[in-house]
Amino acid sequence: MYNNFKTFFIINLIAILFFSACDEAAIPIDTSKTPLSIDTISFPVVNTISYQVPPDVGSHEFLYFGKKNEFDFLYNLIRFSSIDSTNQQTFTDYNDSLIVADSMKLIMTFVLDSIDQNADFQLRYFPNSGDSVFNELSTNYTNFDYLNASSVISSSSLSIVNIDSVTSQVRLNFLMDTTIINVFSDTSVTSFNASFLVELKNKNASEFKFFSSNNLSSPPKLRIFYRSFLSDSVVLDTSFHTYYSSQDVSIIDKPYIGSEDTYNLSVGLAKGLRSLVLVDMEGWKLPEHSIVSSADLVYNKINNDTLIGYSVSSYPINNQADFSKFNIYDTDPYNIESNYLSSAPIIDNILKIDYRKILTDYGRGSKINYGFKIQSSQNSDPFKTVQFHNLNSNVTYPVLRVIYVTK
Amino acid sequence: MLLNKFIKLYLFIFSFIFSQSIYNAYGLGLSRTSFHSSVNGAGSVGLIPSFHPGVSMDNTATWPGLNFTYISGSYTNQAHAIKSSNINNQASRFNKFQFVIPIRERYALGLTVKPLNNNNSFFTTDTLAFNFEGTDILTSKEFRSGGGIMEASFGLAFPLNSRMGLGITINHLFGSSRNEQSVIINNIYYRMFNLRTYTGSTFDFDFAGLLFKDSSLSISTYARVGLTNKPVSGNLYNFNFYEDSNNSYSFDSDDYPGDLVVDTTSISNIYSPNSFSFGVNLAFKNSLNIFSEFQMLNDESTNDNYASIFNDKIGSKYHFGGGLIRFGNLNARAWQDQITFRLGAYRDNYSLINSRKSLIENGISIGFGFKFAASGNQIDFSYRNGSRLITDGQKELFKEITIGVSLGDMWFLRRRAKQ
Repeated sequence: MYNNFKTFFIINLIAILFFSACDEAAIPIDTSKTPLSIDTISFPVVNTISYQVPPDVGSHEFLYFGKKNEFDFLYNLIRFSSIDSTNQQTFTDYNDSLIVADSMKLIMTFVLDSIDQNADFQLRYFPNSGDSVFNELSTNYTNFDYLNASSVISSSSLSIVNIDSVTSQVRLNFLMDTTIINVFSDTSVTSFNASFLVELKNKNASEFKFFSSNNLSSPPKLRIFYRSFLSDSVVLDTSFHTYYSSQDVSIIDKPYIGSEDTYNLSVGLAKGLRSLVLVDMEGWKLPEHSIVSSADLVYNKINNDTLIGYSVSSYPINNQADFSKFNIYDTDPYNIESNYLSSAPIIDNILKIDYRKILTDYGRGSKINYGFKIQSSQNSDPFKTVQFHNLNSNVTYPVLRVIYVTK
Repeated sequence: MLLNKFIKLYLFIFSFIFSQSIYNAYGLGLSRTSFHSSVNGAGSVGLIPSFHPGVSMDNTATWPGLNFTYISGSYTNQAHAIKSSNINNQASRFNKFQFVIPIRERYALGLTVKPLNNNNSFFTTDTLAFNFEGTDILTSKEFRSGGGIMEASFGLAFPLNSRMGLGITINHLFGSSRNEQSVIINNIYYRMFNLRTYTGSTFDFDFAGLLFKDSSLSISTYARVGLTNKPVSGNLYNFNFYEDSNNSYSFDSDDYPGDLVVDTTSISNIYSPNSFSFGVNLAFKNSLNIFSEFQMLNDESTNDNYASIFNDKIGSKYHFGGGLIRFGNLNARAWQDQITFRLGAYRDNYSLINSRKSLIENGISIGFGFKFAASGNQIDFSYRNGSRLITDGQKELFKEITIGVSLGDMWFLRRRAKQ
């Protein structure tokens, strides 16, 4: 009987499982009787100003020589990693008696694979500058002393190099002898600067564009050719170690600033144009247990030209700003809250930057509102200057629109 | 072994599934009237005998009348419908699990686990459209909740005299409930999550007494006093809003903000039920029973920090019910005569604390019980149908099918002396 019952019981349970389908439909209710609400608020922009700092092209994908539109490129600075691509060979390792470095070559790759016009380039280095010569993010025409460089140590012009049977590259090849290698391998300077200055022999030449260290496929390379000895009498074939560029920057001469740059809200990396915006949020508090859905500050571009892939970054600043006039600074005086970075592309001539993260902290009183800085993103075309309407515009002035959800 | 594993898996899966009702969203939700399938079939509150002559599985004082030790489980399938909105919901759940041991026809003890209430609900609002300075915005809200208070009980029955018995039940209340409140803006969910844990304890004093008995009729009365020993308290874990950017229903690294702050608050005295129930049963000589019951329950909690989108909760309840039961005879030759038949009707009147609105629940029920095997195994089916209507509110129709299986065995019972 028990066995029969067990069978009966199992069948019964399976039947219940099979027929007890779960059906979950939402029950409609009147929204007015429910908690949670959506609030909106618009904050007026009360101050805007642009200012200029030295050009900021250190993170760009290319290195430039000559003249490009309104920009003059004085020279390029390149620093190489102190250890080779295999992570094994440092410059000081060439002091080993079983390794003899014969020569060194600096290679820069041109962005085109053919030569329309050629020019002579020359190379200098910094034997007396210790462990550091420049910083690609901060070095510019105002703070770099060209006279620190040595005399010309090598010259080159563009030449075509066949990589394989179908691929060729246009390169600059600067050859250097053991004199330079000895300076690099000298142990009297800890972590030698390994930096070079590359320039056009004729400063008035037109634009030449090479890949920089920010291009992963063809960054500047330094090759050291050497012979290694297995013993005093047995010599292996000549080989080379490759060192890649770790930092590089094109030094631009002081750029021209027009009235349209100073009058409007302007941003541009090569011109060093940045802008400040102050939004009046005085007295506003974000209710407890709320979340900001969006806090968009909308900027309207002045020119209707098409921009592709141009984005703008913005940060809250943490000190009082000068909104009285257009200023020129050697270094940017406005420190930023980098944790609150917000960036957005310009789409249909409108830039919409979401400030909800910092606005949440403003609304909770944990941060003080000194205003926002806007500047071109590092991946934007550094030579494009974009102007936005400021408070002088009647219709398209910037405004901060906030949507938040509260309990 | 396979059977045991199957039962455990089955109960585990369905212990946490509940059908939605509008009224689950008022505070802690509706407190259930009945739990065992035999009680459900009679529309009873569990006082009067419904499982076996003289025995209700929900009334501790009657357990000594059982002929066998029972392991009993009830399983419910509920369906709710909102008439005005053409909304239908259905879900299944475990209703009660019980182990009762009668001892020498005078005493009994038992263990019971059952879900005391049900917070399951899912609401949505209409989508509203507005324009905020040139930006079109579509917005709506969703509210979901689930879980509730479970009750684990230990009951002990003993005689007062030859006609009266008393049962004392100690109930430990525990469990948790979850609720999620969401605002949807242009298809992006902003969710806020609350988790509440519960712990508390109550006592029930059950009484069963035979007032009159002759060859054709017996009259018995039953009563229960329910008292709160330790009002339900617990912790409220209130998670802040987050933007569910990938609509994954849980906070993850893609969501905003990067970290989710949770406020923990101790909550006390959120449920403190005191009740009084009374029932009368007339048993005729042909195994026909006619009964009537009354129950009065009052929640005397003082803290209104509970999960409710309606900002209200059930404060009191009155139950009136009656019906008839014809018990089957295990020894009858015809199988039809072995069937227990139950029929009942009831009315529950709930009052809401803040709005002072009334919630009326009317229901009818029908049930069958079938005994099989010499050890008194019993399978019970019940069907309940009714409606709930709140003042100025929507009418909800409900249907409920419950199946209960009770397996009997001989423990601590008087056995025939060897000749």
